[in-house]
Amino acid sequence: MSFLNPLLLFAALGVALPILAHLLNRNKVKRTDWAAMQFLNRSVRIRSRQLRLKDFILMCVRCLAILLLAAALAKPFMEKAEQVPPGIGESRAGVIIALDASYSMAHSDGTATRFERAIEKIATITENIHPGDPVSLVLLGAEQQVLARNVAFEPGQFDELLLDQQVSPESLDLDGVPETLKALAESMDAPQKEIYLVTDMQARDWDGQAEWLGAAFENLAESASTTIVPVLGGGDNLAITGLELVSGVLREDTVARYRATVRNFGNNPVTNVRVEGLADDITVDTKTIPSIAPGASETVSLFAHFRNAGPVRISAELETDSDSLAEDNTRRTVAIIRDKVSVLSVEGETDGSGSFIAAALRARGGQSGQENFSVQSVPWIDLPSQDLANFDVVVMQNVPDITPEQASAFESYVRAGHGLIWFAGDKVDAAAWNKRSALDGLPLLPAVIEETVSTSDALGVGRPLDPAMPDHPVCRPLRSLPEDLLSETRLRKVLQVKPAAGSSTVLSLVGTAAPVLLEHSVGRGQVFMFTTSADSTWNNMAVTPVFPMVLQQMVTYLTAREFETSRLVGDSLSLSYVDQPDASEAVFDTPSGDTVAVPVLEHRSHYVAMLDHARESGFYLARVSLQAPGLPVAVNAHTAESDVRSLAPADALRRFEGTEIAVAQSDADLGDAVAQSRGGRSFWFHSLLVVLGLLLLETVMASRFPKKRPKAKSNPTTETT
Amino acid sequence: MSEHLPDTNYLDPKVLQSLGDLELVAREVVEGLRVGSHRSPLRGFSTEFAHHRQYSPGDEIRDIDWRVFGRTDRYYTKLYEAETNFDCTILVDASASMNYGSGKVSKLEYAKFLAASLAYVVLKQRDSVGLSVFDSEVREYLPPRSAMGVILEIDRLLRDVKPTPKTSIAKQLHDIALMMKRRSFVILISDLFSDVDDIRAGLDHLRHDGHNVVVLHTLDPYEINFPFKGTWQFDGMEGEEPLTTQPERIRDDYLASFGEYMEALKAGCVASHVDYTTVDTSRPLDGLLSEFFHLRQSTLNGPSAARP
Repeated sequence: MSFLNPLLLFAALGVALPILAHLLNRNKVKRTDWAAMQFLNRSVRIRSRQLRLKDFILMCVRCLAILLLAAALAKPFMEKAEQVPPGIGESRAGVIIALDASYSMAHSDGTATRFERAIEKIATITENIHPGDPVSLVLLGAEQQVLARNVAFEPGQFDELLLDQQVSPESLDLDGVPETLKALAESMDAPQKEIYLVTDMQARDWDGQAEWLGAAFENLAESASTTIVPVLGGGDNLAITGLELVSGVLREDTVARYRATVRNFGNNPVTNVRVEGLADDITVDTKTIPSIAPGASETVSLFAHFRNAGPVRISAELETDSDSLAEDNTRRTVAIIRDKVSVLSVEGETDGSGSFIAAALRARGGQSGQENFSVQSVPWIDLPSQDLANFDVVVMQNVPDITPEQASAFESYVRAGHGLIWFAGDKVDAAAWNKRSALDGLPLLPAVIEETVSTSDALGVGRPLDPAMPDHPVCRPLRSLPEDLLSETRLRKVLQVKPAAGSSTVLSLVGTAAPVLLEHSVGRGQVFMFTTSADSTWNNMAVTPVFPMVLQQMVTYLTAREFETSRLVGDSLSLSYVDQPDASEAVFDTPSGDTVAVPVLEHRSHYVAMLDHARESGFYLARVSLQAPGLPVAVNAHTAESDVRSLAPADALRRFEGTEIAVAQSDADLGDAVAQSRGGRSFWFHSLLVVLGLLLLETVMASRFPKKRPKAKSNPTTETT
Repeated sequence: MSEHLPDTNYLDPKVLQSLGDLELVAREVVEGLRVGSHRSPLRGFSTEFAHHRQYSPGDEIRDIDWRVFGRTDRYYTKLYEAETNFDCTILVDASASMNYGSGKVSKLEYAKFLAASLAYVVLKQRDSVGLSVFDSEVREYLPPRSAMGVILEIDRLLRDVKPTPKTSIAKQLHDIALMMKRRSFVILISDLFSDVDDIRAGLDHLRHDGHNVVVLHTLDPYEINFPFKGTWQFDGMEGEEPLTTQPERIRDDYLASFGEYMEALKAGCVASHVDYTTVDTSRPLDGLLSEFFHLRQSTLNGPSAARP
C-alpha cells in the first residue's frame, strides 16, 4: 500500500482530538439540583455504565472516521492488487496522450490517413479511462501544444476536442517530447500514470536516435507507464523539396530562371512527373521529368517572364492526383519585380576599365531593358557630388581612398538596405581603406586588407576559381557551369585579406582557398568585396562569362527585398520599418484567409512587427496597416517530413527492447498494455465513502447524546420590562 | 423615597422607585371609605391615636380635633391605629426546593426580594406588615406592625433564612394561622411543590380564620418549560433519589404532569377563594409587581370577593 500524498497522513494526528474530548468529558454527566422531582418520569433511566460504553463507542467511531479521512486524503493505492477481491478499490489512472500531428501524419494509403488511424487508436485508449480521471492531451509538432492539462476525463468533451485537431504542416521535433511528457506526468495527481505516444514512427525521427534521447525516453518510463502506439502506413511520396531563383535580374520585362527540385521518397521509381511553374496562380511553364529513381532527386528549370513591377507569387506544383501526401507537392517563393534598377559605378581610374562593369550588367538587358536598368559611371573624385539614395547598388573599383565623411555616408547607405560591391586594384591604398572601414567598430568592408599577392604560376597563368562553392544565390549559376568553362577564369593577383568576424567567403581560389569574394551584412544591407580587380590587369575574369553572371546575380541579390526569401512553417515572419510607422499594428493575412494583427515594436531605433509562428504553408500577406497594400511571403512545409517511411514493426520493437517502454503494434497489444499498467487499485474514493458512513453514524449517535445546554443568566432585580 | 431607606439587603431602590404610589388594595379586611384607601370594619374598637391629618371634605366631623382648632384655627382630624391600617402577613416558604435556580437567582432569593418589596409597599401606605418564614416548621414569625422600622427586622429575618427540607405545607399553614390573632391579609410566597390536597387544606384553614389569602406561586422558568437537552442527573433537593435520564425523552411526560398539577392547584385556589398568581423568576421583579398590583386593582371582584 502506498500513498499518493503521504504528507497528508499527518492529518491522522487529529485522532488525538476525539480522544482528548473523550477524556475531558469522561464521567461528566451534567448534574443539577432539582426541586420538581415529583414530575419526573423515573421510567427512563440511563445507567452510567451504559453512558460510558456509548461514549467509548462514539469516540471509537470518531477516531476511525478521522484515521480513514486522513488515509483517504493521502490517496492510498496498491500497485499490485491481484490479491484484492474485486469491488474493493478502483482501477484508476491518470492518462497522458501525445498525438503526433506532424504533416507526415497526413499521409494516406488510399483508405485513411495516419492521423485518422491515430484518432481510432486513441478511441481504444479512452475506452479504458474512467470518467473523472485526470487526462492530458498533447499535440506534437515543431513544438508541443498541450491541449488539455490534467482535466477530468469526460468522454464527449474529449472526443470533441480530439476531432477538432488537424495535422499541422510542421515537422516533428522529437527532442523536446520526453521532457514535456515527463513534466506533465509529474504534475499529474494520480495513483498510476500512463503515457501513450501515438505516432507514425517516421524513420527519420526514430531510427538512430541520439543516445541522450533514448535515455530521456527511458527516464520518462520511470515517471509513468509508457506505451508507444505506432500508426503505420506506406512510404511512397513525391515532393518538391526546393524552388529557388537561379538567374535573372528581377525587374520589369525580364525573364528569370527558377529551379525546382523533385525528390522521390518512395521505394519505387516514378515516371513522367510533370512540374508546373506558376506566377500569381497562372501557369507560366511546365516541365516533365521522365523518371525519378527511388530516393533520387531531379531538378527542372522553370522560366518566368515578368512584365509588371511588384511582388509576384511564384510556385512549383506537382501535377498529380495520386500522391499520398499533398502538403509537399507545392513549393513557393516570392519575386519582387523592380520597375528600375540603378547602379553607380565609381571608378578609381579613368582608363576605361569601368566599362567592363557596365557591359557585364547590361549583358542580358537587351534594348528593352535599357530604360529601366541604368549604370552610371563616375570617377572617384566626383563621388561627393552624387546622391547615393538615387542608386540601388554602388560598385567601387580600384578606388584609392575615401574621406571619413564618405565612409560614414556609405555605411549609412548600406545600413538602409542598399548594396555595395568593392573591387581591388593597383591604386587601392590598403592602409587608408583599413582605417576608413573600421569606423564605429563594425568595418564597412568584410575583410582587413593585408598585402597584394601574386597567384600566377611560373608561366604567368593565374589560378582558377574553386568549383566547390557554397549554396549562395550569387554563385548558384556558376555551379551549373561546365567545369572547363569555369576554369577559364584565371586570377593572377589578389589581395591577401583577413576576413572580419561575421563575414563569409563566397568565391575562393582553388588550391590556396584564398578568398576572392567575401560578403557581410551591415544593417539591412550587404557588402561584397572582391580581392581582385574589375578589369583585366589582375585577372581575365572580366572577359569570361563568369563576370556578368556573378555581377548580375549580385545586383539581383543586393536589390532583393526581405520577403523574397521563403520561410518554413514554424518560422517567424517579421515586417521591418525604416521609420516609425503611423499605424501601431501590422496585419498578416494567413493562407486560410484569417487576419492576424501584430503590434509594431521598437528595438534599437528599428521598428519591427513580428508574427511569431507561421502555422500554415502558403502565401501570407504582410501589410503595414489594414488598408495598406500587402507584400506576399512564401511559407513552405519542412521537407524533412516528406520522407514518410516508418520504422518497420520489428525495428520499432527492437528500438525499445530491454526498456520499460511498451510498443503496441496492434489493438490487442494496446489492450494488454492498458491492462498491465492498470494493475494497481486506488482506495481513496471507497475510503471517503466509509468516512461519510462513519460520520453519519456518529451524527445519529451523537444526536442521542447532545452536548451542554446553554445556560441563561438572569438578574430579576436589574432587568427592566 | 429611597434615600430615606435603611440599609437593607432585599430592597432594591430601582424596584421601589418603579412601584411608585402603587398600593396593595386589600378587600374584606379594609372596607368602607376613608380619605385614604381603607376604612376599618372595626371602627371605634381601637382608639389608639396615631397622628393628625389636615381635614378634608368627607372626613367625619366627629374626628376633628377641636383642641388643635382652638390653638391653630385650622381643622385637623385625628387618626387611630385600628382605623387606618390593615394587617398583612407575608409567608415565605424557605424549604430546600425553593433554593433551585436555573439562573443566578434562586426561587428563594427571588421570594426574598418579592417579600421585602411587598412589605415596603404595605408600610408605605401606613398599614401593618408581618413576616413568617417556614420550611419543615415555622422558623420565624414577626407579627404585623406599621412602624417603618419593621422593615429592618424583615430584612434581617430574610437574610438569616437557611433552607431545609419540608414535610407538609398544610401543617405550617395551620401553625401560622394559629399564630395570627387578627384577620389579616396573607401573602403566601412558595413553589408549592407538595400535595395539592395538602396545600388546599392549609389554605382553607387560613380562609376559615377570615384571612384574605393571596398565593404567589414562585416557579423557575426551567421548571415551567423543562428545556434540558443531553444527559442529566437530577438531584432531588429535599432528599429524593437522584435520577439520571435524557430530559428530551421525558419532557412531554413532565409537562403533562406539571400541567395537571398546576390546573389542580389553580382550581383548588378558586374553590377556596384564594387569589392565585404564578411568579416566573426569570421576569424582572418591578415588572412583575406592577402587573400584580394592577391586576388586583382590576379584579376587585375576584374569587375572594364572592365569599359571604
